Amino acid sequence: MEFLPSIIMFVVIVALTGTAGWALWWAIKTGQFANFEKGATSIFDDEEPLGRPTDAFPDRKPENLK
Amino acid sequence: MTTAILNPSKSPSGHEPADGPLAQARKYSELFQRSEIDLSCRYPVLAFFVSGVFWLLVGSILAMLASIKMHNPHFLSDWSWLTFGRVRPAHLSTVAFGWGAMTGLGTLIWLMCRLCRTPLRFPAMLVIAAGTWNIGMICGTACLLTGYTTGIEWIEFPLWVGFILFVSFALVGIWAMYTFGARHAGHVYVSQWYLFGAIFWFPWLYATVYILEYLVPVKGVSQETIHWWFGHNALGVFFTPIGLATIYYLIPKVIGKPIYSYYLSILGFWSLALFYNWAGAHHIIGGPVPAWLVTVSIVGSMMMFIPVTTTAINHHMTTYKNFGVLRYSPTLRFTVFGAMSYTVVSVQGSLMSLKVYNEPFHFTHHTIAHAHLGLYGFYTMVLFGALYYIVPRLTAREWASSRTIRFHFWSCAIGILIYFVLLSIGGMIQGFEMNQAGDSLFKLMHSHGWWTGTKLFVEGFKYKNGAVPFIEIVENTRPWLISRSIGGGLMALGHFAFAGLFLVNLLGIGPKRQGPTLLRSDEEGYRKALQGDEGTEHDEPSEGNMARA
Repeated sequence: MEFLPSIIMFVVIVALTGTAGWALWWAIKTGQFANFEKGATSIFDDEEPLGRPTDAFPDRKPENLK
Repeated sequence: MTTAILNPSKSPSGHEPADGPLAQARKYSELFQRSEIDLSCRYPVLAFFVSGVFWLLVGSILAMLASIKMHNPHFLSDWSWLTFGRVRPAHLSTVAFGWGAMTGLGTLIWLMCRLCRTPLRFPAMLVIAAGTWNIGMICGTACLLTGYTTGIEWIEFPLWVGFILFVSFALVGIWAMYTFGARHAGHVYVSQWYLFGAIFWFPWLYATVYILEYLVPVKGVSQETIHWWFGHNALGVFFTPIGLATIYYLIPKVIGKPIYSYYLSILGFWSLALFYNWAGAHHIIGGPVPAWLVTVSIVGSMMMFIPVTTTAINHHMTTYKNFGVLRYSPTLRFTVFGAMSYTVVSVQGSLMSLKVYNEPFHFTHHTIAHAHLGLYGFYTMVLFGALYYIVPRLTAREWASSRTIRFHFWSCAIGILIYFVLLSIGGMIQGFEMNQAGDSLFKLMHSHGWWTGTKLFVEGFKYKNGAVPFIEIVENTRPWLISRSIGGGLMALGHFAFAGLFLVNLLGIGPKRQGPTLLRSDEEGYRKALQGDEGTEHDEPSEGNMARA
């Protein structure tokens, strides 16, 4: 029982590091880091495209926005 | 049919007119998809948001009580449940695990659905998770106010309450993994990396600290090491990733341009993952712990300059040349304030790990000011920004009053600035005087003039004799503690104003939202577009996107 805390800590360290390592490997394998420019614009689409702000105070007209 | 509608195929020729029927259909398809996602999120996310705002108000009241008691100890001291030793941990737990965690999880759920481009599945599971979390919070807060506490900062809730919160969190975690597996978006945006960090790391931390402090307790100084490993990481790998994920989504979306450097954002995430969890032991510098442990934590803290610098460059350069939008966008105003606070508090945090900085100011009010800049100036302000963006998309109602939004912002912003700046100064004076060989700063300035007095004070500090009577130091910090109550009062005022605005929105009072995320209003145009109508007689959905008034 005396070694139980050490065993728990060891399991936690291995599991945390292991999952992080696996996530990194998965990201590289699936090409997540292949095209950074495409990644940056992935949150935009035709309906909410680049260059269009999407939030304003209720009483401010959108045409006031640059 | 629905699948075909949602995923209109490209023209066989491959030369599709930009404004042709298929392009229109695709545009409405995205509109339809986003509407569906927002509508599916409505009840689960609002359950987390409503709970979060409730705990914010409870936490604000407890904060004011604790703050006033610091300079007027007899204030409401006749009731045992309102004594400082109970009110203070109750404040921390309600704002961190009530407001911070619940609102953060609500934001996380919405962002996951948006970034995975998939409607929310199993909403009942998340509503149950929110309910379970609230049961845990009510039980935990009642325990703290009635005197049942573990006595360990950040995990004051009894073990069985911790278990309730853990079960609730596990439900959200399982849901997040399922949603990620069912995603329609191929690319994993940087915000999702941060969200996954928060989802994966927090249950490990929370379970580990409870196991090693209670179920299989470690002995001696190991307890403090484990304790601050958790305490520091709860901030760094749970609250911080949710805040940064929100910033990385909201700033580009509100301004309408991508983040300055996607490469730096990815570098920032992985360097945070690598270095942050080493830094916890800098909370016990000077304690009876192995020197190597403290040294490693200092190195880890200094390495945090990498993710902090990359994030700061990205936030600043993305907003650069678009600062004018801050005048219009409530979301951006809160979010950018939070992003700037993140840079300041992170740089300060790294420097505070250095022994020359840590020695005089540790165990003073300086540290309290630093913690509030992190969890309030950064995290809470970002969450307010997220609420202003997300809630109208869930309730299909615009915010009722921009004046109240402005009041909310300035009240909170000025409040936290007063709090941070003045309490930091008070903490510095406190720290110097506790290490002072001669008289206090005020006495020396009074008897020798401000310049000579300050020089004598600094010289006296070198000897670290602790010659200033403790009660004198306490009295000298009192004005700074009063200033904290003033700053905190302003923040609490802002919270109540926001809660009123939120309630009005939930009750359906105020202008109805006119925008593309409304499913019904665009259904007709969507159908016509599919039938070959280019939709010229309809409102352009992108215009509605901005015309939320």
